[in-house]
Amino acid sequence: MTLESLYPFLHAGKADVNGVLSDVARSTRDKLTEIAKLRDEVLAADGERIAVCATAVAQRFARGGRMITFGNGGSSTDAEALATLFCAPRSADRPLPAMSLTSDVATLTALANDVGFELVFARPIAAAGRECDIAVGLSTSGGSANVLRGFAQAHDKGMLTVGFAGYSGGAMAEAAERGEIDFLFVMPSASVHRIQEAQTTTYHVLAELTQRALQ
Amino acid sequence: MIADLTAADTAEVFARRSAPTDALATDAQTVARACHAMAQRFHRGGRLLAFGAGSAAADAAHVVVEFVHPVIMGKRALPAVNLAGDPAAMSALTERHGTDESFAAQVYLQGQPADIALGFSVDGRNAAVLRGLEQARDTGLLTVALLGGHGGKIAEMPGLDHAITVHSDDPLVVREMHVTAYHVLWELVHVFLDHPGVLT
Repeated sequence: MTLESLYPFLHAGKADVNGVLSDVARSTRDKLTEIAKLRDEVLAADGERIAVCATAVAQRFARGGRMITFGNGGSSTDAEALATLFCAPRSADRPLPAMSLTSDVATLTALANDVGFELVFARPIAAAGRECDIAVGLSTSGGSANVLRGFAQAHDKGMLTVGFAGYSGGAMAEAAERGEIDFLFVMPSASVHRIQEAQTTTYHVLAELTQRALQ
Repeated sequence: MIADLTAADTAEVFARRSAPTDALATDAQTVARACHAMAQRFHRGGRLLAFGAGSAAADAAHVVVEFVHPVIMGKRALPAVNLAGDPAAMSALTERHGTDESFAAQVYLQGQPADIALGFSVDGRNAAVLRGLEQARDTGLLTVALLGGHGGKIAEMPGLDHAITVHSDDPLVVREMHVTAYHVLWELVHVFLDHPGVLT
């Protein structure tokens, strides 16, 4: 599909604001159709595994475990939102200990500056991770080196490891095959934005089901 | 005791997303008009100031990354600032002025009339976001709100330029629609910016 076919008014050589607004509104509706379809695909492929994963996460919390989340860029904001969701859930739900590694900018920049960016998540996990804890890492490409190193370290510690990726899973799919990621959820899309949106739904559902498992 | 869950539990929770997604699609003209207005501000040299509390603070950080570091190669970086991103500043302002003034105080200090204020509130009732948008309006910024529930007090704010409201009482569902909405805002702002003839 060409840019011209997506936004014909922009290429008509005239500044027709109403025409462009119509094109842009149509593009908005197309994107909403895409994300609805992607959510359906994730549910069809992974509905059962999401439920099993929520049970496993609930078991770790019940044993006194904590959740440690990590990711880069937009995925770092997902890591923070997910940790917040467990620490400060809806009033009927139980607050659970969770922390995002990207919120600690001092540790993050110290490690990036002194050791290397690929170790910014592995080091804090090596320091604090326990067997009863849960590691959740997010990457749209599935190829972020620091997220992969974080999973390897968490797996060494015996933690439950949960990953979110996109495209075909990339290097995170290989890590899952090696057993370093216990539950990997891949959003089968080539759009970074739709991948992030489907990941957000999936971890929201995982959090809600974890609370349901604990009740 | 840990309850056993099945795919039926997952399906039931996923299903709650369907109606709000369809509803946002019917609101596409509202999204388009907000994009056009935001593109006009960027074209004039304005910046985006984003703010929200709780998970919405993460969304403010996310939308800023979208604008400053575009995922699509060749799209230019646009100036954006997350007002919820500095815990030292946030806690200092909260201590001095109270929680409700934490964003308004920053908008007052940093906001320029050409800028855009983008406030997030999943129930439309966050007092700090409302005050931030009111200060933004008073300074002359374009005001855009991503809301949920029934829009709350923020949707009723006099002079609010653009409100995109997700009609759901589930804050998680609202947040997901907000993520899609700001991805679309970013992408479509660039469509307008690529064709400055429609910006004047």
